[in-house]
Amino acid sequence: MKHGIFYGRSRTLLAQAAACAVLALSAGAALANEVAELRVLAHSSFTVPKPLLAQFEKDAGVKLRITKAGDAGEMLNKLILTKAKPIADVVYGIDNALAPKALAAEVLEPYAGAAAGRSSPVPMVAPLVSVDYGYVTVNYDKAWFAKSGLALPKTLEALTQPAYAGLLVVQNPATSSPGYAFLLATIGTLGEEKAFDWWGRMRANGLKAAKGWTEAYYTDFSRNGGKYPLVVSYATSPAAELFYAKDKPTEPPTGSLSLPGGVFRQVEGVALVKGGRSVEAAGKFIEFMRSASVQQQMQTEMWMFPAEAGVALADVMKFAPEPAGFSSPADKDIADKGPQWLARWTRVVLK
Amino acid sequence: MLELESVAKAWHPRRGERRELLQGISLSVAPGETVAILGPSGSGKSTLLRLIAGLETPDAGRILFAGQDITGVPPERRQCALLFQDFALFPHLTVQDNVAFGLVEQGLARAQARAQARDMLGRFGLERFALGRVWQMSGGEQQRVALARALITRPRILLLDEPFSALDTALRMQLREEFRNHIAAFHMATVWVTHDAPEARAMAGRGMLLEQGTLQPQW
Amino acid sequence: MLRAALHTRPAPGAVIRGLLAAVPLAFLLVLLIAPALRLLLEARATGTDAPGWSALWLPWQDPYLRHRLLWSLAQAAISCAASLALGLPLAWVLARLEFPGRAFLLRSLMLPFVVPTLVAALGVLALMGPGGLLARLGGPDLQGSPWLLLYGNLFFNLCVVVRAGAESLAQVSAARLGAARTLGASPWRAFWRVEWPAITPALMSALCLVFLYCFSGFGLALVLGGQAYATAEVEIYTLVAHELQLGQAGALAVSMMTLTGLVAMAYAALERRLATPARADRVLRRVPDGLWPWAGVLAAVAVWGLFCALPLLAIVWRAGLAGTGAGDVWAVLREEDTLQALWNTVRFSALALVLATVLGLLHAFAARRSLLLRALAYLPFVVSPVLVAFGLLLLYPGWTGSFWLLVVAYALLAYPFVAKSLAAALDSLSPRYGEAARTLGASPWRVFRRITLPLLATALRRGMAFAAAAAIGEFAVTLFLSRPEWATLSTLVYQRLGRPGAANLDAALVLACLLMALAFAAFVVIEWQAPEEAAHA
Repeated sequence: MKHGIFYGRSRTLLAQAAACAVLALSAGAALANEVAELRVLAHSSFTVPKPLLAQFEKDAGVKLRITKAGDAGEMLNKLILTKAKPIADVVYGIDNALAPKALAAEVLEPYAGAAAGRSSPVPMVAPLVSVDYGYVTVNYDKAWFAKSGLALPKTLEALTQPAYAGLLVVQNPATSSPGYAFLLATIGTLGEEKAFDWWGRMRANGLKAAKGWTEAYYTDFSRNGGKYPLVVSYATSPAAELFYAKDKPTEPPTGSLSLPGGVFRQVEGVALVKGGRSVEAAGKFIEFMRSASVQQQMQTEMWMFPAEAGVALADVMKFAPEPAGFSSPADKDIADKGPQWLARWTRVVLK
Repeated sequence: MLELESVAKAWHPRRGERRELLQGISLSVAPGETVAILGPSGSGKSTLLRLIAGLETPDAGRILFAGQDITGVPPERRQCALLFQDFALFPHLTVQDNVAFGLVEQGLARAQARAQARDMLGRFGLERFALGRVWQMSGGEQQRVALARALITRPRILLLDEPFSALDTALRMQLREEFRNHIAAFHMATVWVTHDAPEARAMAGRGMLLEQGTLQPQW
Repeated sequence: MLRAALHTRPAPGAVIRGLLAAVPLAFLLVLLIAPALRLLLEARATGTDAPGWSALWLPWQDPYLRHRLLWSLAQAAISCAASLALGLPLAWVLARLEFPGRAFLLRSLMLPFVVPTLVAALGVLALMGPGGLLARLGGPDLQGSPWLLLYGNLFFNLCVVVRAGAESLAQVSAARLGAARTLGASPWRAFWRVEWPAITPALMSALCLVFLYCFSGFGLALVLGGQAYATAEVEIYTLVAHELQLGQAGALAVSMMTLTGLVAMAYAALERRLATPARADRVLRRVPDGLWPWAGVLAAVAVWGLFCALPLLAIVWRAGLAGTGAGDVWAVLREEDTLQALWNTVRFSALALVLATVLGLLHAFAARRSLLLRALAYLPFVVSPVLVAFGLLLLYPGWTGSFWLLVVAYALLAYPFVAKSLAAALDSLSPRYGEAARTLGASPWRVFRRITLPLLATALRRGMAFAAAAAIGEFAVTLFLSRPEWATLSTLVYQRLGRPGAANLDAALVLACLLMALAFAAFVVIEWQAPEEAAHA
C-alpha cells in the first residue's frame, strides 16, 4: 500500500531500527565508562588541544568530562546555584573580576599543590590558581581610520567629542565578561561618579551596546561589515586577526589602543569546587593547566598570555604587546559594589 | 436475525439537558427480510442504526443477533455493515482498495482481497473505476461502491441510513431497483432508514414509523 | 468533560484518552513545569524584594521592565499582523497555482529556522547593513532600526504562516468553492466566504506560534536590534544567568507566562470553535494562465526572495567566496571536528524528531475535546527556557550534561509543531471514515493505522518537517549544559565566531551552509510523497 506515512512500511521500520541502533551506540558509549570520572566546568571559550587532554587522561588515569556552561559569569552563577549538589569537581575560567563573587558564595575549595606555591607574574587570590591572563582594550579598524583620516583617540575623554560620535561599540557588562572588565577599568581610573558621568555622555554621543563579544565583533565592528570602527575586545585580537587571515599580511588589520582607564587586566584561574569528588584527580588537572605544554599551546587557541613564569610566548604574540598600564577598582569594592555598578550602568546607558 | 428489546437512548443537546430520543424500542428482523423505518428528521432514526451497529451504546435494553446478546460487543465484531448518506468512502484508497477493505480486516491476503473486490465491482458494472479515486466518481457510483464494500464482507445485517438522500430523483429510482436486486441476491437482512415514504414501500416488506421515540408498525 | 464524553462515546474512549494524554503531560510536568516552579521557589526563598504575592506586581511598576514587556507585546503583535499580511497571499499562490520551482520554494521557506541566529544576522546585515546591498544601491542603512527587527521576526516566522495557509487552502472543498462561484460570488467574495472560514483554524494556531516566538524571542531580533530593543525574555535571561537575581526574574517570568498562557488559551478556544469538517474533494492546482496569475507568482517569488531567500543566498555567496582566494577554507568540511559535529547534529535531531512525533501524536489525539490540553501544547513556548534550564540544574543536578536530557529538551521544543499541525487536521477529519471502517471490521487500532493516520499524513509530515527544523536549529537548547564531544554544527559555528579572524568567519559561514544543506535534505526526505498524491496535497 503506497499511501500516507506508511509509504513503504519498511521505511518506518528502517527509521525505527536506525533509532534503536543509535540508542544502543550511545548507551554503549556511556557504559564503557568504568574509569573514574573527573568533571570539569569551563566557559565556552575553553580550548585545549585534544592530544594534550588525551595525554592527561592517560597520565592521571581518569576520564575527563568537560562541561561548557556559557559565558564566565553564567558559568559561575550555575556553580553558585548548584552549591548544594555540585555539578563539577574543578572549575576553570573564573577571572579576577568574578573572583570576589565566587569567594563570597563559598563555592571553591583551597588547593595546596605545587602550582599554587609557584610564583607567577599574575597571582590570583587563593583558592584560585591563575592559568592565563589577557587585557581587555579598545580595538580599532586600521582601514577605516586610514580612510576617514580621523586621528586615533588618546583618552577616554576624547571619545565623548563630537568627532568620535557613534564610533564605539561596547558589550553589556551584565551579559559579557569583556564588557564588565571594561566597565571596571573606567571605574578604576575615573572613580565611580566620574566614570558614570562619562558613560552618560558616551550614551549621548552614540554609544552602542551589544549583547556579547561575538555580536559586537562580528556584526557591529566595521572590519566585519558593521559601522563601528572602535570595539571593546582583547589586546591579543589583532594577533589573532593576523593568525587567521586569509592572505598572509605582514601586519594585523586591527590594532589595540591603550587608553588610560580603558585597559583591564583579566586573569583567569582554575580551582577545586567545594563538595566535588575526585579531589586528587582535580589537583592533577590544576597542575596540568599550569604545565608547560598547555601554557604554550593554549596561547594560539584561547589567545591569552601564559601565567606560568618562564614560558616562551608564541611568535605571533609579538603583534600583541602587553599594554603599559591597566586599571581596576580594589577587589573589596568589586565584591561589595559590583551588582550596584551593573544596575547603574543599565540605568545610565540603556534605560 | 436481529432483535431489539426495549432499547432506550437519551440525547444531551447541551450540558444538563436530556431528551429521551428512543424509548422502549422493540424490533425484530428476520433473515433476508427488509424492514423500513420512516420518520421525520431528528426523530432518532440514525441513532437507532448506530446503536445496532455498535457505534453507540443504549442506555437500557438489549440487542441480539441470532439469539446472542451483543449489547457490549464493539462494532468491528458485530458483522454489521452501515451505509451513510455521504457515502464515507476512503479518499486515500483506490476504489478497489475501498471495496477490499473489509476483506483485509477479515484476514484475507491483499492480492486475493483485491481480486474479489474487482469481481464485486464487476457485478455492479463499475470495474472500470477499480484503480481510480473516489472523488472521480459521481454520487450514484459512489453509493454503489459503498454497497459493494458492505456486501462483500457478507455481514449478518445491512443498515442503510438514508442512502439516497444526497442523490437526484431520477437516479434514486434507478438505484432502488439495483439495490433491491443486490440485497436479494445476497439474502441480506436489512434495515432501511428513510424519510421518503414511497421509497420505503418500494424497498421493504415491512415498515415502521419512528415517532416520539417509539416505533409504530405501518404495514 | 469526562461525563459528557462518557455519555456520547463508550466509556473506554475516555480512559484511552486519559492514557494518551498522560505521556506528553508527564514529560511537560517533569521537564518543564517542575523545573520552572523549582526556580521560582528558589526565587521566593532567596528573594530580598518584597516577599509574597505583591512581588508579582513589581515588573509592572518598574518603568523599565514595563517598557520591555509592552515592547515585547507590541513587536510580537506587529510581527503577527505583518506575517499574516505577507504570508497569506504567498500561501494562496502556492496552494492554487502550479509552476516550476513551487516545491522548492515551499521547502526552502523553512531554512531560516535552521540557520544559527548569528549567521542569519550576518546574512541580513549583508543585505541591509551599512556595507550591505541596500546601502550600496543608495538605500538607507537599517542597522539598529526597529525595521530590521521586524524583518528579523518575519524572516523566521513567515514560513509558519505560509505553510499552514497553503496546507489548509489545499484542503478546501472544490465543490463548495464551485458552488459559491456559480451562486454569483466573485473570486474575492468566494475567498472570503468559503476559503477564509475553512483556513482560519490552521491560521490561528500558526499565528499563535508566531506570536509566542516573537514575544519570548531571543535570537535574531536581539542581534539585529541591539540592546535597546531587547524583549522581556532577554531581561529574564540577564537577571537569571548573569545577575542571579532570581526574585526579580521570577516576578517578570510569571507576568510573561500569564500573558502568554492567556494568548495560548485564547487561540486554542478560537481554533476549536472555528473548525469545520473537511471534504475529500480538493481544489486542484492549475497552471497560471493570463497576466494576473503570473503576476501573482512573481509577487510570491518576490516576497519569498526578500524575506527568506536573500539573506540565505548572501550566506551561501560569502561562503562560496571564501573558497576562492588564498587558503582552502572548504577544508573545514573535512576536519574531524566538523564530521563529529555533523554526526551529532544528525543523531540528536533524528532522536528528537522521533520523540517529538510520538509526543505530538499522543497529545493531538488526547486533546481533541479538551481546551486545556490544546492550550498546553503551547507550553514549551510559554515557559521561559531560561527558567527551565536553570530549574533543571537545581532539580535534577545528577542529570546535568546527560545525553537524554539534551535529546528530550530538543524534542520538547519541537513537538508543539507536530501537535498543532495534527490537531488542526484532526478537527477537520470527518468521524464518518472511522465509523465506516469499524463497521467493516476494523478494531480502533486498525482504524488508526489504516484510516486516520494516512488521512493525517500530510499534516503529520508538515509538523515533522518543522519539528526537524526546530531540532536542527536548536534554539534555546544552548542554555543547557553541553559537552564538547556533543558539539553540533550550530555549536561549532558559535565556537568559530568566538574568535577574531577572517578564517574563522569563513569557516563559520561554510558550516552554516552545511547545516542548511542537511536541513534541506531532511525536509525532502520527510515530505517525500508518491506522485499521485502530490497533485492533491
